[in-house]
Amino acid sequence: MTTSSDVKAEPKSGSRLGSFLRGQMRNIAPFATLIVLLVFFGVASPSFATLDNAANILVQISVAGVIAVGLTFVILCAEIDLSVAAIANATGIVVAYFTLQESYVNIANVPLPAVAAIVLALLSCAFLGLVNAVGLTVVGIPSFIMTLAMMQIGAGICALLVRGQIAYAVPGFVAAMGAGSIEGIPWIIIVLAVFLIVGHVVLTYTRFGRYVYMVGGNREAAEYSGVNVKLVLGAVMVISAVCSGVAGMLGVAHFGSAQQNEFDGYLLDAIAAVVVGGTSLFGGRGGIGNTIIGLLILGVLNNGLDHVEIDSFLKILIRGLILLGALIINVYVQAVRENERTG
Amino acid sequence: MPVESVTVPARVPARLVMQGISKSFGGVAALRDVDFTLRPGEIHGLVGENGAGKSTLMKIIAGVHTQYQGRMTIEGHDVHFRSARDALAAGIGMVHQELSIVPDLTVAENVYLGKQPTRGGVVDWRAMFAGAREHLASLGIDVDPRARMGSLAIGLQQLIELARVLFSGARIVILDEPTSALSPPEVHRLFEVLRGVRESGRSIVFISHFLDDILAISDTVTIFRNGRRIVTEAAAGIDKGWVIERMIGRGHEDLEGSYTGDVTLHSKPAAPVVLALYGLGLRRAFADVSLEVRAGEVLGVYGFMGCGQIELARAMFGKVRPTEGRLEMEGRPLRLRNTAAARRAGVAFVPESRRSMLFYGEPIYKNMSISVLDRIGRLWLRPARERDIARRHAESLSIRPSRVETLLQSLSGGNQQKVALAKWLTWPPKVLVLSEPTRGMDVGAKEDVVRIIRGLREQGLGIVVMSTEPETVLSLADRIVVMRKGQIVREFAGEAVSKDRLLEAA
Repeated sequence: MTTSSDVKAEPKSGSRLGSFLRGQMRNIAPFATLIVLLVFFGVASPSFATLDNAANILVQISVAGVIAVGLTFVILCAEIDLSVAAIANATGIVVAYFTLQESYVNIANVPLPAVAAIVLALLSCAFLGLVNAVGLTVVGIPSFIMTLAMMQIGAGICALLVRGQIAYAVPGFVAAMGAGSIEGIPWIIIVLAVFLIVGHVVLTYTRFGRYVYMVGGNREAAEYSGVNVKLVLGAVMVISAVCSGVAGMLGVAHFGSAQQNEFDGYLLDAIAAVVVGGTSLFGGRGGIGNTIIGLLILGVLNNGLDHVEIDSFLKILIRGLILLGALIINVYVQAVRENERTG
Repeated sequence: MPVESVTVPARVPARLVMQGISKSFGGVAALRDVDFTLRPGEIHGLVGENGAGKSTLMKIIAGVHTQYQGRMTIEGHDVHFRSARDALAAGIGMVHQELSIVPDLTVAENVYLGKQPTRGGVVDWRAMFAGAREHLASLGIDVDPRARMGSLAIGLQQLIELARVLFSGARIVILDEPTSALSPPEVHRLFEVLRGVRESGRSIVFISHFLDDILAISDTVTIFRNGRRIVTEAAAGIDKGWVIERMIGRGHEDLEGSYTGDVTLHSKPAAPVVLALYGLGLRRAFADVSLEVRAGEVLGVYGFMGCGQIELARAMFGKVRPTEGRLEMEGRPLRLRNTAAARRAGVAFVPESRRSMLFYGEPIYKNMSISVLDRIGRLWLRPARERDIARRHAESLSIRPSRVETLLQSLSGGNQQKVALAKWLTWPPKVLVLSEPTRGMDVGAKEDVVRIIRGLREQGLGIVVMSTEPETVLSLADRIVVMRKGQIVREFAGEAVSKDRLLEAA
């Protein structure tokens, strides 16, 4: 008969440094990816590594970036929000709907003062987020399904309001934030920076932010510690929807038009930014810092592929492969963590 | 070791013989030189306290534990199972306390699980329903084979699982705590079915804490204590007191901490009531529970696994909402919408599983502060203050390592339990509910936890200790209530009580 006791004495692989690096893999891998991409495109294309292009990249990621800030809260709680792009689209259309359009625009809209239009738009995205929150926490629908339904509801609101038409005018303040600039710096970059900073501060320095991490880390333990888990989950759904709404208004101003299906690509971009950055899909690990890296990876990739000679249809495949790579790392890192816990 | 007597007719050759079985886990002996014999057409009851070794022995028979010393023969042939599948193939079936039925399938599909009759590659439903009906009827179970399993009462589900095990060809059936969730008529029906199974010549091992049930159904009873088989005796000639005496081994080994003698309860009937429960009930889990938790008194709630005390603890902390009855905190009605409301009302809870209380990937100080974050700062975190508070607890509870930035996952079980307690100590609650506070701990950590709980009692907290281990309750409680199948059946207050009296009451 063999002895089983020997099996237990597993060799402690690696030193203190090794285990530190393994623990930081979630942060190191995305950062390394970003550096590799920067070096690659910098060498491959002379037009890539310029200050102008850097500003371009930042503008290009800003709409997805504002959405990703809200989504970071949701994913940290181990939930998902698939309705972000639909809510962004609906909110952009709502703000245009309450703005006086040019006479050739064929939409039965309701012109209101700019402030009222913006407030109504914000209220509508917050309301849609609240519906997500109630569905998730009170009714008990899994967020994946709940927000899938909300995705369709958002699309329906868009369709009803514009009826296949295109609106162009948005309140002056929104137009300035989305398309204007100050001292040569686009306002949209500044708005993104503000959202990232506020998101980071809330997650890192407030009691609510700690609850988000703890609920994501071990929901049952949070509940047994007397944390109102449902309130935290509801709040992150509303935060996500409001961030999406703001991104929607910025986007409408940035593109210069409000129409159906305008934001469809942003769902994948926002989720990809959060996950590629290293925030755990299982909750409790990651943060805005990771999301920033994820956004930059996506931005550099999209922009850089335009600067090199490459089949434009191949770009889509490359993006898919990068996302798959990030998911593999994400799940692998989680597995390492589980092993260290039980081992 | 001498066998006192085996009165089952010795002419019948044994079906299963185990000789000199020993098994240890990491140097701790779970079974020491155990002999065990099972005959055809015999119902053999196994009794012993938690950890006495009966489950380990059964897991060896069922092929779950494959590493052990000793010899096992079935029908005279030497066997050594390499897996549960081997045991199954050799005709050994097991019905666990947690049933392994598929609630969304029909009764017939459950009976035929994994081997549905087919015709031309598709399931032959007609044959399956007819076969299941016939098989169930042969056991005296009258149930529609088309009924959805989940819609049936627990007692019926259990009979159908038993039927499935028999249907798969088992000649030896092991039943683990089969009566713990059953009402008296359901127990009666189970026994009818088991007698029928015995008539057919199959052998049954019946493991239970319910000694009345064991004595009512068994032909033979074997008693385990501390990994040893103490005695095997015909059930006809023995009674409950005789069994308990041998189960706990009065006056023999392990004098210290075994609570075989009397413990006097220092109840405080005059102390003010903090939390009162009136007729609390929760669907199938428990019913009509009325309790008073007094300031500065430890109330012990003792009962077997599945008696409802786990659910009762959750209802007191707002994790589940009771379906009947009401709560009062210091004389005022208390409605708990969620655990956050319970915490604000002054109720604290440490569940039996540390995993559901602690954040393994986070440092000690974040684990401790999570329950009191709102008192440290309303909006902003104050990490320096969090660490200070955590350091104070780490020192007073002698938590090792004492560095509060250490990740919780690197602490030992006992130290983790102290962290779980420390969560509630910064601003002490009015009522502290503890479920299995010392389970699975070494002696040193156990003593520390007992000392902490006594200290909290001196501070005037009302403490409730729920446990399935009589020692835990006896070592801590000033007053004890005993739960049985969801109801309080006995209260011990201001009197002497001993382990055998607790067991007797449960």
